[in-house]
Amino acid sequence: MGINFSKVNFSYFRVRKKQKPNYILKDIDLSISEQDEFIAIVGHTGSGKSTIVQLMNALLQPTSGSLSIFGKEITNKTILKPIRKRVGLVFQFPEYQIFEETVLKDIAFGPKNFGIEDPEGKAREVAGIMGITDLLDRSPFTLSGGQLRKVAISGILASNPDILILDEPSVGLDPLTKSELMDLLKKLHDDYHKTIIIITHDMEVVSKYCQRVIVLKKGEKIFDGAMKDLFAHDDLYEDYHLNYPETVRILKAVNEHFHLHLDTNKHSLTEAYQEIVQAWGKKYEQ
Amino acid sequence: MNSKVVFGQYYHTSSWLHRLDPRTKMVGIFLLIISLFLLENIYWLLGAFALIMALILSSRIPFGKFLNSLKMMTTLLLITVFFQLLFNRGTNYKEFHFTLSFFNLLIIITLLVLFFLSRKIIRKHRFFLFLLVVVFSFFLQTVLTSEPVLAQYSLRFYEDGLYTSFKIVMRIVSLILISALLTLTTKPTDLNIAMEKLARPLKYIGIKVSILSMMISIALRFIPTLINEAGRILKAQASRGTDFKEGKFHEKVTQIISLLVPMFVISYRRAYDLADAMEARGYIPESERTTISLLKFRFVDYISLVLVVLILTSLIVLKVMGYAI
Repeated sequence: MGINFSKVNFSYFRVRKKQKPNYILKDIDLSISEQDEFIAIVGHTGSGKSTIVQLMNALLQPTSGSLSIFGKEITNKTILKPIRKRVGLVFQFPEYQIFEETVLKDIAFGPKNFGIEDPEGKAREVAGIMGITDLLDRSPFTLSGGQLRKVAISGILASNPDILILDEPSVGLDPLTKSELMDLLKKLHDDYHKTIIIITHDMEVVSKYCQRVIVLKKGEKIFDGAMKDLFAHDDLYEDYHLNYPETVRILKAVNEHFHLHLDTNKHSLTEAYQEIVQAWGKKYEQ
Repeated sequence: MNSKVVFGQYYHTSSWLHRLDPRTKMVGIFLLIISLFLLENIYWLLGAFALIMALILSSRIPFGKFLNSLKMMTTLLLITVFFQLLFNRGTNYKEFHFTLSFFNLLIIITLLVLFFLSRKIIRKHRFFLFLLVVVFSFFLQTVLTSEPVLAQYSLRFYEDGLYTSFKIVMRIVSLILISALLTLTTKPTDLNIAMEKLARPLKYIGIKVSILSMMISIALRFIPTLINEAGRILKAQASRGTDFKEGKFHEKVTQIISLLVPMFVISYRRAYDLADAMEARGYIPESERTTISLLKFRFVDYISLVLVVLILTSLIVLKVMGYAI
């Protein structure tokens, strides 16, 4: 169950027989479970990140290969509504999709479409989780960017999807709103056992929240594994065009400067601090 | 999403037609179209067609591009021809007798069913295939006349109808080809500049040509952007469960609103941003502006214009003198 890609190729244009196909995604094998995952999809611009999440929401269909979402094979004939109900996709800059005259109505739009009972009650519940209860009766067009973003994400959450996908959720938000948003996602993951998939360029976010990382490069999957395994890699920049998160960089710098052999793969300040203190202790003992 | 929607159908090659000043092309093709309407005689029309074909060849644009623009008109042309043949009555006609026998009917129905069933297998040239089926089924009715006969009828095809319809087809096809020649060899922006220059005299009667042309070029510029934007909103709403294919009428209305409202919001935002950006770069609507692309008349331009004017005037003179052109 969940989402399964097997040998999926994708091209936006019709592939002609004689031409060498210009695939946006090449030979993707991927399996995502329907609960308890927190996945980051990272990669250079144009590596196919946005395309792969649109496939996951069945907004696009694979050119070749097979894609199944919750056990249903995606073809032209598949009825997509039940799939989209279970896989929620929040686009980049989702604030543009808002159109109703009040926030409450807009959040209830999704559940209403999917035929969920009591859409407004559901909307209020989600607004409570997202902490925007005070905005419910206002017009969306009077809100700030960060508030709009939360409203848009609530609109997706209100249909209660099992898998929630967000395309660069934190871009253009101030640091406070950003960490609030990420904490919310973490809460959804921890308390409601939802699978969260985010596209991001921010290694701090990856390091702090994600368990699994998928790295795409020119449409190919070049890494898929635990977050710690990715940052244990020595030449991240050269191989994947990625940077290390701050704690790892600090530990690496300390290593180099004091000729220590610290384990650099630490992803919170406390862990990094403990690592340094321990090593320091050993050095003094010698 | 990075599929680029390009408005207009400009096709780049480096022919002399591409290098011609857009003003020349606009005026020239306009005059040629007028000349085309002066022609009545079938041979003169054929001559005009040959001239247009020569122009098309010299543009070095693949002929398929021109066929594309003709494709849309095929149905209209065929209907015109059909009615001309049946109803433009004259003295000379040829009568065809058709017999609709039981077997004929059976074969025709099978053919039609086969045609609809083959929808999934044969996707290209459906229209021509359909024509083939129709022609064949009529042909069948003249040949196969075995019992049991269901109906007999005859159609008269008039010679005059044939001539008139041929002339109409020639004229429409030439018209489409020559206007396609303009849009295929000239960028929309160049057309706009040419329009601005040509319409310049209008400013003496109080029409602000530069503002109008700025509006046109902005509109042209933002069509692809807005199409992309609409695609994005459509997808975003689809993932919230809107379905433009299914649903009852009132549901569809809400779904269309869910696309329209964001599009309005986005367009207004873009308009405000653009206005600010233009003001920041010193755009003052009514002041004199220089254009970045200077149009320059060259020798070829003069020659072509003179030729076109010559064609038109000689046609008019011939017409006035009473020749059947």
